[in-house]
Amino acid sequence: MDLSLNEMEQLVKNTARDFAERECPIEIVRGLDESESGFSPQIWQKMAEMGWAGMILPEKYGGSGASLTALGVLCEELGRAIVPSPLHSSSVLCGLAILEGGTDKQKETLLPAVAAGERILALAFTEAGYGWDAASVHMSATPRNSRFILNGTKVFVHDALVADQILCVARTSQSQNAEDGITLFLVDKQSPGVNCYSLPGFAGEKFCEVSFDKVEVPEANVVGEVGKGWAILQPVLEKGTVVLCAYMVGGCHRIWESTLEYCRTRVQFGVPIGNFQRVQDHVIDIVNALDAARWTTYEALWKIDNGKPEVSKAVSLAKAVTSEAYHQACNSSHEVHAGTGLSKEYHLYLYTKKARTFYHYLGSPSYHRQRLAELLEL
Amino acid sequence: MDFELHYSEGQEEFRKEVWTWLEANVPRFDLSSDGAKQSMAARQGAADFRRKLGTKGWLAPNWPKEYGGGGLSLAETIVIDEELSQWDVASTGDLGLSLGAPAIMVWGTEEQKKRFLPPILKGEITTWQCFTEPEAGSDLASLKTRAEWNGSEYVINGQKIFIGSPFPPDYIYTLAVTDPEAPRHRNIGAFIIPAKSPGVTIQPLKLIAGGGRNTIFYDNVRVSPDQLIGGKTDGWRVAQSTLEVEHGGGGRVVARDQVVDDLLAYYKEAKRSGKPLSRDSHIKERLVDLYIQSEIGRLFGLRGYWMRATKTRLVGYEGSQNALHGKKYFVNLATILLEVLGPTALVDDPKWAPLKGNLEYYQRFAACQHQGGTPEIQKVIIARRMGVSRTRETAAAMV
Ligand SMILES: Cc1cc2nc3c(=O)[nH]c(=O)nc-3n(C[C@H](O)[C@H](O)[C@H](O)COP(=O)(O)OP(=O)(O)OC[C@H]3O[C@@H](n4cnc5c(N)ncnc54)[C@H](O)[C@@H]3O)c2cc1C
Repeated sequence: MDLSLNEMEQLVKNTARDFAERECPIEIVRGLDESESGFSPQIWQKMAEMGWAGMILPEKYGGSGASLTALGVLCEELGRAIVPSPLHSSSVLCGLAILEGGTDKQKETLLPAVAAGERILALAFTEAGYGWDAASVHMSATPRNSRFILNGTKVFVHDALVADQILCVARTSQSQNAEDGITLFLVDKQSPGVNCYSLPGFAGEKFCEVSFDKVEVPEANVVGEVGKGWAILQPVLEKGTVVLCAYMVGGCHRIWESTLEYCRTRVQFGVPIGNFQRVQDHVIDIVNALDAARWTTYEALWKIDNGKPEVSKAVSLAKAVTSEAYHQACNSSHEVHAGTGLSKEYHLYLYTKKARTFYHYLGSPSYHRQRLAELLEL
Repeated sequence: MDFELHYSEGQEEFRKEVWTWLEANVPRFDLSSDGAKQSMAARQGAADFRRKLGTKGWLAPNWPKEYGGGGLSLAETIVIDEELSQWDVASTGDLGLSLGAPAIMVWGTEEQKKRFLPPILKGEITTWQCFTEPEAGSDLASLKTRAEWNGSEYVINGQKIFIGSPFPPDYIYTLAVTDPEAPRHRNIGAFIIPAKSPGVTIQPLKLIAGGGRNTIFYDNVRVSPDQLIGGKTDGWRVAQSTLEVEHGGGGRVVARDQVVDDLLAYYKEAKRSGKPLSRDSHIKERLVDLYIQSEIGRLFGLRGYWMRATKTRLVGYEGSQNALHGKKYFVNLATILLEVLGPTALVDDPKWAPLKGNLEYYQRFAACQHQGGTPEIQKVIIARRMGVSRTRETAAAMV
């Protein structure tokens, strides 16, 4: 047993931390948060140059074939500094789906561009009834000649604003088993009938409504077999979930650090507020949340990388714990920061928005608890 | 014991009168609970409505007429509160009314009461409460703003933070050190100052919630001695009369939270992942818990109202207990909204925002439970008032 990072992972961690401090300090994050697209092509370009956009893609497609754990280490650091980027949507969710289900031709044309950060993909899965299981996919796609016609609305799509292509999950046939009849379509965002706008609110991502009005998609843009999309997507969603957890662990970590710092420096009644046991209780809640999130996440990453059994259980465990941990950490941190925490000149609210946005992304704690109940045969 | 309010025929007649008047006078536009989002027109409308209410004496129904109140009975006051709560006029927003006036009533001279109370109680002016400083939040008594006596006036210098409301102030109610040599709690004076006084600068803060808050700078602000409320070093006790109310001592008679009812109704109808949301037992439990918490809050509010209206003294921790409950409640409510509504809880978009919209505000409001003392400070007060702390303390004078 060894719970430490290996040499390569440690190197990734250090590099990522330096990068975030240098290229994406909090003022830049704040500026992007307030900008329309939330995206910096310069930062993304530099991330791609670091090899991160292709990190888990195979070498033959321009990637470096790293482990999911190594990517998790990277994402933890990105999450700690809340570096905004389409890395998770483009390289992890969509990149892995294409790797998993695409034809050789699709892989050869798409993956190198994804790995180089030149092409950005976004996954359009959730709809009005918000859910992450197969039964939640209702949007329809009907074959006509050698094309499919897509009709419907996807909502809360991350990174759609900056994507070149949308990987859209739609239903090509109805059947008893919700997992049958799901097909993945790669849709050019410029196609006639595709509309995309970002929803205003207290969200840490520019999440979008993407509507498809009789959008024609050529057969060549179907990823995997028609009607068999779920089998491709399911393991990809699991991997994506744990990588997201790692990003959230980084957020928790930063919240813990900031809260400790504030406890040591804010003085009331003549002493640093960390002297008050009621304040200590909040910091203890934060560190408990952080550590629970960290270890459930890294064990899930390890299980996936090493082909261990019961990956699904580990994934749902990690996401249920981590969603709640990040939420709890931010709430507790607000208690400690009181008025200061509300200031837009301070960074806490940026994390709070992320925590609330990722709470449901790829499945809420409630969804993953129910999944765990099923897996535990309860 | 009787938890129900009873009304005489005359009072029921009065209710009709109130209802008719409100029907004719309540402004018909959306007053967002998020101050920062209120339009200027909406704010003006709210201020106008406050003034109309004040002119009728219904802003402070059971306060004496000579000070601008309505001179009405408690029952009539409750009728007005009940009827008002049927309309969406939550924030006519003047802290002066709820917080400044009670302190002036307890501590002001007759001349000051005649001068300051009528315009506040008639809704003609807005007063901001300016206590907090950058280095003096929970530890308010360590405030540094200085009021120096120059023989004929006080000259005030210093800085306040987190102050105000979306309504621009006519007066500011502030605390400053009048005697730096005197011991803690006996070195402060309370002043009421015209907001336009030379040397007062108001600088908006950018906050995620609690719209309309500011930093205020005092640069040699000259204040005549008849604007000092209470004695030169009574300020701490004057402030306690305000804080007693702010710490929840005021209570509320109609505190049933509409959001809870809306949420319960939503739960019965909504679908998630294609299935009725009502099959989600985890969410069901959370909603029942929310219902329970909202009922406890309603009862704490009712008790506070009864205590204040009938001048009943219980142990003295009740106000802070009510405040603490409310603060925890709103943090919890935000989480439950997030669980029940999914990501639509975060959205401020008429197409996707559920229920009546505007719920996204609660996500930010959850981080904003520090006005009038943090939860921890409420606990400190509760412990002191129960006599289980090193420091013992009784409730401040309150009207
Ligand atoms: C939206 C908003 C509106 C406001 N409006 C007004 C206004 O109109 N007028 C006005 O004067 N002020 C106003 N305030 C200020 C408010 O009263 C203060 O924010 C509050 O008293 C807390 O002070 P602080 O933010 O400096 O936190 P701090 O006092 O710095 O507290 C930091 C942390 O330390 C804890 N702590 C401090 N002392 C103790 C202790 N003895 N024991 C245990 N824990 C302790 C706190 O609970 C908190 O967790 C407003 C604040 C907000 C957020």
